[in-house]
Amino acid sequence: MTASILTVDDSPSIRMAIRIALTGAGYSVQEAGDGVEGLAKAEASRFDMIVTDLNMPNMDGLTMIRELRKQPAQAGIPIIFLTTESDADMKSQAKAAGATGWLVKPFVPEQLVKVAQKVLGR
Amino acid sequence: MQLADLADVGATEAHGIAWSERGEVEVLTFELSGEVLAIEAIRVFEILDVLTDTVVPGAPPLVDRIVNFRGKIIPVADLRLAFGMERAEQTVDSRIVVIELALDGEVTLLGLWADRVLEVATFVRSQCEEPPMVGMRWRREYVRYLARRPNGVAIVPDLRTILETVFFERAGS
Amino acid sequence: MNAEDPAAAFRIEAGELLEQVEQGLLDLGHSLADMDLINAVFRGLHTLKGSGAMFGFDALAAFTHHCETAFDRVRKGQVPATAELVAVILSAQDHMRALVEGDAPDADGEAILARLQHALESASGAEPPVAEPGADRQGWRLFFRLPADAMANGTNPLMLLDELRDLGEAHIVARTDEIPPLPDLVATQCHIGWDVTLIGDISREDIEDVFIFVMDDMTLELEPLGDETSDDTAEADSCAVATSPVADTPQAGAPSSAAAASAAKAGESVRVPAERLDELMDRVGELVIAQSRLSQLAHDGDDLVLRSVSEEIERLANELRDTMMVVRMVPVASLFSRFRRLVHDLANDTGKQIALVTEGESTEVDKTVIERLFDPLVHIIRNSCDHGLETAAERAAAGKPETGTVRLSAHQASGEVLITIRDDGRGIDRERVRAKADANGLIQPGQVLSESELLSLIFHPGFSTAAQVTNLSGRGVGMDVVKRTIESLRGSIDVASTEGEGSTITLRIPLTLAIIQGLLVRVGNGSYVIPLAAVEECIELSLEEDFRSRGRSLINLRDRLVPFLRLRELFATGTKPDTHQKIVIVAIGNERVGLVVDQIIGNHQTVIKSLSAFHSGIATFSGATILGDGNVALILDVGQLVAMGQSVDTEEKIHAVG
Repeated sequence: MTASILTVDDSPSIRMAIRIALTGAGYSVQEAGDGVEGLAKAEASRFDMIVTDLNMPNMDGLTMIRELRKQPAQAGIPIIFLTTESDADMKSQAKAAGATGWLVKPFVPEQLVKVAQKVLGR
Repeated sequence: MQLADLADVGATEAHGIAWSERGEVEVLTFELSGEVLAIEAIRVFEILDVLTDTVVPGAPPLVDRIVNFRGKIIPVADLRLAFGMERAEQTVDSRIVVIELALDGEVTLLGLWADRVLEVATFVRSQCEEPPMVGMRWRREYVRYLARRPNGVAIVPDLRTILETVFFERAGS
Repeated sequence: MNAEDPAAAFRIEAGELLEQVEQGLLDLGHSLADMDLINAVFRGLHTLKGSGAMFGFDALAAFTHHCETAFDRVRKGQVPATAELVAVILSAQDHMRALVEGDAPDADGEAILARLQHALESASGAEPPVAEPGADRQGWRLFFRLPADAMANGTNPLMLLDELRDLGEAHIVARTDEIPPLPDLVATQCHIGWDVTLIGDISREDIEDVFIFVMDDMTLELEPLGDETSDDTAEADSCAVATSPVADTPQAGAPSSAAAASAAKAGESVRVPAERLDELMDRVGELVIAQSRLSQLAHDGDDLVLRSVSEEIERLANELRDTMMVVRMVPVASLFSRFRRLVHDLANDTGKQIALVTEGESTEVDKTVIERLFDPLVHIIRNSCDHGLETAAERAAAGKPETGTVRLSAHQASGEVLITIRDDGRGIDRERVRAKADANGLIQPGQVLSESELLSLIFHPGFSTAAQVTNLSGRGVGMDVVKRTIESLRGSIDVASTEGEGSTITLRIPLTLAIIQGLLVRVGNGSYVIPLAAVEECIELSLEEDFRSRGRSLINLRDRLVPFLRLRELFATGTKPDTHQKIVIVAIGNERVGLVVDQIIGNHQTVIKSLSAFHSGIATFSGATILGDGNVALILDVGQLVAMGQSVDTEEKIHAVG
């Protein structure tokens, strides 16, 4: 079955880039524009993986990851966050919040697909 | 134009309303030629005082105006034409309700004329009814719900169907 | 715009990558030992292969793989870079370009790969690769244990083990010593450690990549297997036991300095999606409008302080607007550098000695314009090399240096960019131009032509002065196509030539496509913008004439019948015509049409904005713009209106005959 991935980012263009990359690699992708929406969508249907930005309006990525990991149903779901090279601090914070891995911006689609394949094993 | 993308906003399902767990939804109500319309508050981007509009010759009558909304040129729709009402003059109370739509996968802004913006209200599921099959003044498919209010009925328009029809009619002409 | 097609996006990316690879190869040809260049070429090929495979360019990925492998060996010092190898990869990247376009004959690829094989063999013959004794025993012994919460946080240890297995032959044994007694066991926690023996030619980085997301928190012990060859031991020493952050890992000297160099280069510029620039441009537009209201207020009142603040803001707003225009600009260097290869190849093909000199590479032009200038410039440069420049012998005989020069230069002048292509060749043979034009019926026999009229005949469709068509020119693209392309950019093209001394072609291009000069007109109650570049003249249409022409829509303009459109009727304004209507004559190429308007308001510097999906299908308008008072005016699509006028014309002529 196709793995389904939720991408959470306030930038429509980044969401589009992610959607194109992942659907191009055969995954099915849903989008959310901020942490609140991401949380709601993740609660509503089970995803195989979540890709999220950290800086977002309404609810940032860190908070969303923490909220998700509080829920037993979300345990073990890989969560990949997007970060910039300089955000070493953000990286450790996000990992402490329960993220699985990260992708450094800017990234090429190939890297994202590799990460997806890595954490999903398919 | 991807019709499937039309009005697919936020967490809202295709033609539905994003009811909360408690069966409530926040709406913005406004007046249009004596009728009260309600649209989901989550879709509302901004409410503007009326700006000078520009007519686009050859455009579908329902969406034949554009305005300068902070440097962006956005279309403005007159829902009156969907509900069989006459166009009306603007007054001091007139407003443009700017909503967000997904068009061709991109978020686009669309203005809606309003004679007067009333309030942000909470509708509960039980006060909203599907439109009756017969006996309505309006095209049934344009009405998502009729909501009972203390002093009358509010129309919850089916924006998606209305805007799709604009496109079909244009494609047909 | 269909931004949703990843394959199309890849084609663009591939074009850029191939360009980088080509530049790298050309430079590498001059300094074969330059590790930075070798690494740059490798990276380009690597990305091309990877992305190509992702977007379904399988043939490209497979072919590129061989070139990448070859450069990987060069990079690792197993094979030296040789001139032959560089030449083969240069022709290989032409083939890659063809593969990207999807029209590459398989035979070409096979021939190139055969040459590549030969180049590699002779290169390694020059310096045979060091044999790798004990390669079959190479490998690693490693132990890892994940943080207890790793599984809850989405890491699946089984997948990590699978990834290790993918690297080479793996023997995996679980360590269960830290598993707590059953009552204390939490089902979501992971307490198992794994001992893994990995056999194969595997780098430390390969293994670290497997653990990249958990490196910081996990236990990882790594040691190489058995006795290693001398240079491997050096590496082994540095990567002893437990793991700390990845950054501490020492890297081989050359690649890391190359990486640092490229990182420094990348830091100098920022890639920004064009849409963000458009947003910024919108904000600036609003600011300018708000500012003009402010300055109106300031001038109406007597407050001198307010007036001076307003003037200050006006200055800043204007500067900001000018800066914004500049942000979309890119230097022509990226365009010019693409011609080095072209001239290099043309010199080879023609046997001429040709030098390309470029000037003004830092001149900036709107990115869209740059992309559309490439094809016309290729054609012009090809013409110069092929027809303009003489052979070394001819040049020597004429007392010129044996090497011919093509000079490509760019500079900015008053809102335009001038690009000139100058050669010091034989110049345009006027007699031949004349004879050819005569033969093609472009001119009357004996017709008197000025110098520029004669030369501009080369822009007529199908014109070619070459006595014999070589394989370089005559690809179906004539100077007429070049001229049309330049005109579609709202630019112009001129030619000058001195016999025996050479020719100069000058292109004048507007700095940007985002802004045009427009003629602001009123039709009924609405304002509209007509692109000024298309406007030929404005004439009065008196009411009498209007009445006389009722029922037909042709006007007599210097003995030519020009069709016209009454915009009031076209736009169904429902208003009465002004007593002094005007006809704006617009032209695209040789086709003309008159547009009847109520009033001409004046010139207007127009920032073009696109219409929403609700209106983009209306052919009459190409976009909209915001006027000084904040109102919106639609921009007329002259091409569409001319076409519309022509059909009116045809109809009426048919009518007249019938």
